[in-house]
Amino acid sequence: MNKNRSKEYDVIIIGGGATGAGTARDCAMRGLSVLLVERHDFATGATGRNHGLLHSGARYAVTDHESAAECIEENMILRKIANHCIEENNGLFLTLPEDDIAFQSQFVDACTSAGISTEIIDPKLALRMEPSANPNLIGAVKVPDGSVDPFRLTMSNALDAKLHGADILTQHEVIDILKDQDRVNGVELFDHAKKEKVKYYGKIVCNAAGIWGHNIAKFAGVNINMFPAKGSLLIFGHRVNKMVLNRCRKPANADILVPGDTICLIGTTSERIPIEEIDNMYVSKDDVDVLIREGVKLSPSLATTRILRAYAGVRPLVAADNDPSGRSISRGIVLLDHKERDGLEGFITITGGKLMTYRLMAEEATDLICKKLDFDKKCETANIPLPGSEKSDETLNNVSQKVYSGSGITQKSAKDRHGSLAHKIAKGDENEDSMVCECEGVSIGEVKYAINELHVNNLIDLRRRTRVGMGTCQGELCACRAAGLLCESMEEPGKAKDDLANFLQERWKGMSPIAWGETINEIQFTSWIYEGIYGLKPENN
Amino acid sequence: MKFDNIIIGGGLSGLTCGIKLAEQGKKCAIVSSGQSAIHFFSGSFDLLGKVNGEEVANPLESMKTLSETHPYKRVGLDKIERLTNDALHLLVRAGLNFTGQADRNHFTLTPMGIMKPTWLTLSDFTCFDHKDSFPWKKAVILNFSGFLDFHTLFIKDGLKKFDVHAQIKNVSMKQFEAIRRNPSEMRSTNIAKEFDKENAIDEFAKKANVLSDGFDVVILPAVFGLFNKTIADKLKEKIEKPVLLLPAIPPSVPGIRTQITLRERFQELGGTYLLGDNVEGGVFENGRLLEIRTINHGDIKFEADQFILASGSFYSKGIVATHDKLYEPIFGLDIDGDSNREKWFDEKIFNDQAFMHYGVKTDQNFRALMNGEPVENLYVAGSVLGGANPLKEGSGAGISLLTSLHAAEQILK
Ligand SMILES: Cc1cc2nc3c(=O)[nH]c(=O)nc-3n(C[C@H](O)[C@H](O)[C@H](O)COP(=O)(O)OP(=O)(O)OC[C@H]3O[C@@H](n4cnc5c(N)ncnc54)[C@H](O)[C@@H]3O)c2cc1C
Ligand SMILES: Cc1cc2nc3c(=O)[nH]c(=O)nc-3n(C[C@H](O)[C@H](O)[C@H](O)COP(=O)(O)OP(=O)(O)OC[C@H]3O[C@@H](n4cnc5c(N)ncnc54)[C@H](O)[C@@H]3O)c2cc1C
Repeated sequence: MNKNRSKEYDVIIIGGGATGAGTARDCAMRGLSVLLVERHDFATGATGRNHGLLHSGARYAVTDHESAAECIEENMILRKIANHCIEENNGLFLTLPEDDIAFQSQFVDACTSAGISTEIIDPKLALRMEPSANPNLIGAVKVPDGSVDPFRLTMSNALDAKLHGADILTQHEVIDILKDQDRVNGVELFDHAKKEKVKYYGKIVCNAAGIWGHNIAKFAGVNINMFPAKGSLLIFGHRVNKMVLNRCRKPANADILVPGDTICLIGTTSERIPIEEIDNMYVSKDDVDVLIREGVKLSPSLATTRILRAYAGVRPLVAADNDPSGRSISRGIVLLDHKERDGLEGFITITGGKLMTYRLMAEEATDLICKKLDFDKKCETANIPLPGSEKSDETLNNVSQKVYSGSGITQKSAKDRHGSLAHKIAKGDENEDSMVCECEGVSIGEVKYAINELHVNNLIDLRRRTRVGMGTCQGELCACRAAGLLCESMEEPGKAKDDLANFLQERWKGMSPIAWGETINEIQFTSWIYEGIYGLKPENN
Repeated sequence: MKFDNIIIGGGLSGLTCGIKLAEQGKKCAIVSSGQSAIHFFSGSFDLLGKVNGEEVANPLESMKTLSETHPYKRVGLDKIERLTNDALHLLVRAGLNFTGQADRNHFTLTPMGIMKPTWLTLSDFTCFDHKDSFPWKKAVILNFSGFLDFHTLFIKDGLKKFDVHAQIKNVSMKQFEAIRRNPSEMRSTNIAKEFDKENAIDEFAKKANVLSDGFDVVILPAVFGLFNKTIADKLKEKIEKPVLLLPAIPPSVPGIRTQITLRERFQELGGTYLLGDNVEGGVFENGRLLEIRTINHGDIKFEADQFILASGSFYSKGIVATHDKLYEPIFGLDIDGDSNREKWFDEKIFNDQAFMHYGVKTDQNFRALMNGEPVENLYVAGSVLGGANPLKEGSGAGISLLTSLHAAEQILK
């Protein structure tokens, strides 16, 4: 079936990563009518597959001054507008015996010139500040790095866009760009839930599809020279470090260890892959081995810490237009007005950059959109906090305690995850407090809130919103409980069984590259429960 | 301390072996570190449910097609039929009421509403003769308010294909008010503890009788009878309609009761059961195991004429995997499995996973191999053995029961 929507939007934004969600927020806040479309779920592209490092910019200071300066500026802004998505834990750049200590002074100078504050720390003091660091370190520099939860950050942007009137469609994949001669005027989407095609029209179409922007551009008949760079990471089941740990050397493999919530992450590798492989994010044995070998150098206790999952993402790197070989790749923000570049009106691309700079990217894209629409309104996203981060006259604590009287653990976890929005989690009867996921403290109330308000279509989405199944039990039993709740909101319980099977497969993808020790034991146990006792099998549903 | 036989691991295999040996007058000890697979058990013991993905009607017949390295083939098909009878009798003597036959699988209903072939089913649960019919037309599925671990909607959906009209109803019980107040306490074992007190059963049965008016069958979570062995039967007497119990999210209440019953049987026969102790290693001489060491008993040595290793698969730590090897953690016995971890897994979780086939290597008499040589008095039984994927073929308990009885017979010879 084909459907056409008659409403014409000012702007249709493609991609529910941080960039797309941020652009939707900015456009909506400026008063434009906005449609945001995402093929799967929020943060399923590079945004949900990175370190979650709130860069101070120090990592780029020596090699890329411009990126470094952008990072520190955005870093300071995000601390203000997104504090419920951020941990201000600071970072240390460690020099190990095998590294050249001379790099340290070059590093500190470069940071200073980019506006990044640094403090050289005596190795002994550094070890006291961060006991998990390699005790053989010979130098340490403190910088204002931090951690950012990309899922929460993206959701808050999407929510705020919605609060400002934007329409949002997840599970809607762009399958074509609609054109009227040399002017783009809409998109054709495939609705994965209803299995039907639908067309939407807009004055401007903004391509914020990360690495997939390559395909979107092709639909529009223009070419963007993208060079996918795959990076793999490992998640450890325990928060080993308090501060972000970096190696004080030119960026290389596996030299960042980022703490976040109850876990920590080591990454990343970097490998050019063919564009055909951007949807095939397997992590190889070699990737895993490199990450562990290098990670242990930053923090020796990683050697004995349980690894929960391995995953990979693709950086959306763009080569300069006059450089088809991709030798001079930019890591900076790329904003293309295809009118100027290709003679195609009504179509822009915003890509490159970093998670860190998503807001700036959104601002630049929105400025261009406004210019094209001849609409004059200033950007306010750097000043107005995201939903969940607003300061009120009561402290966050008071707010959520007053309206959400849940049990201690679920209450604290919910507040950590949803900030001041935690009050939206219904205070229903005592049933709502019952625990769905014990290791992550997720209650029925929180699951229901996510299902009703946060565009949750399946268990994997739910995991992204609430961390059900993210903890050390890796979704053994909580997935089943959550499936029961999700089932209540679905028309077809049969679908909920498929969904549970998909969820287990998705987990498996992350676990199989690192499945030894406790992980293989749990996999065996989980299979016995789900397949053995429940009889769950894709072909049975 | 000196015993005739010492068994390492107190799951289904270790207990079966221990009971058999103790029944024959052996002085036995079982050392077991923790929970076993029966704590999670569905209520049915499988013998052989599938071969090459095809459902099996007669397990004894279909065993002939298994590979020569399969534990059943290594026990010897000529002995299997007798051992299946022995196993059932051993369970019955222990006070467990199982029904089923080795030459004809019956079916049980899973909580996803799927009919699964199996061998022996505990009397709590219902056996079906056919996989594509359900004897009742109208079913009421009862759950307890606040209990998240019973998937009523999945059951209802599964029953649709049998043309069963099912309705879900919730029951509130004041007995659960206290446990409901704590968000993580509303779990099957806590509910079962309340029902172990008989007055709760009376009250519940009354409510169930009212709610099941107009229905042919009452479907309930299997949360009856944790320590109290007669409660599940009482419940069925008091409810006027037929009762169909289905597993809830583990731990399994009937499973824990089964484990307790088997342990008590072993102890009544004079066996020594050391729970919560971990065997760490042993002393070998001339190809024999002389004694073992445990964590709790430090310097006290455990000596025996024969030892049985029944320490389970990966999930019980009978076998351990690290990023670059597989090993048997107590004695460093030889492992039947690939040391390259890339070979362990298939990328699709529901496919046959190679690691599920891994286990300790033995000679044809089920004696453990160490550096390629059999240890003369160390037998291996149960899921620590390799050579089969018991999950895919539905042979978990069968392999455990039969290889344990076989090992016991070798010792008694
Ligand atoms: C391994 C790794 C580590 C990184 N570490 C960091 C870090 O620590 N800090 C940092 O700041 N940055 C980091 N980055 C960079 C950062 O992740 C990305 O720059 C950023 O997330 C890009 O966001 P985006 O929204 O532009 O793209 P994406 O997040 O990729 O979003 C694109 C979205 O478009 C959707 N889409 C694709 N095709 C279609 C279609 N046809 N129809 C509809 N929707 C579609 C996708 O599903 C996806 O959700 C890292 C990147 C990688 C790969
Ligand atoms: C979750 C789950 C559910 C299952 N459900 C069924 C079912 O419903 N039906 C079915 O037919 N099969 C089922 N199985 C298959 C099951 O593996 C077998 O049926 C059987 O119960 C295995 O028994 P076992 O004694 O060999 O091993 P286990 O039950 O694993 O027992 C091994 C015991 O050895 C102990 N141990 C390990 N190392 C040491 C040590 N160093 N020192 C001391 N003790 C040690 C462990 O603590 C454990 O108690 C299930 C398996 C699992 C994991």
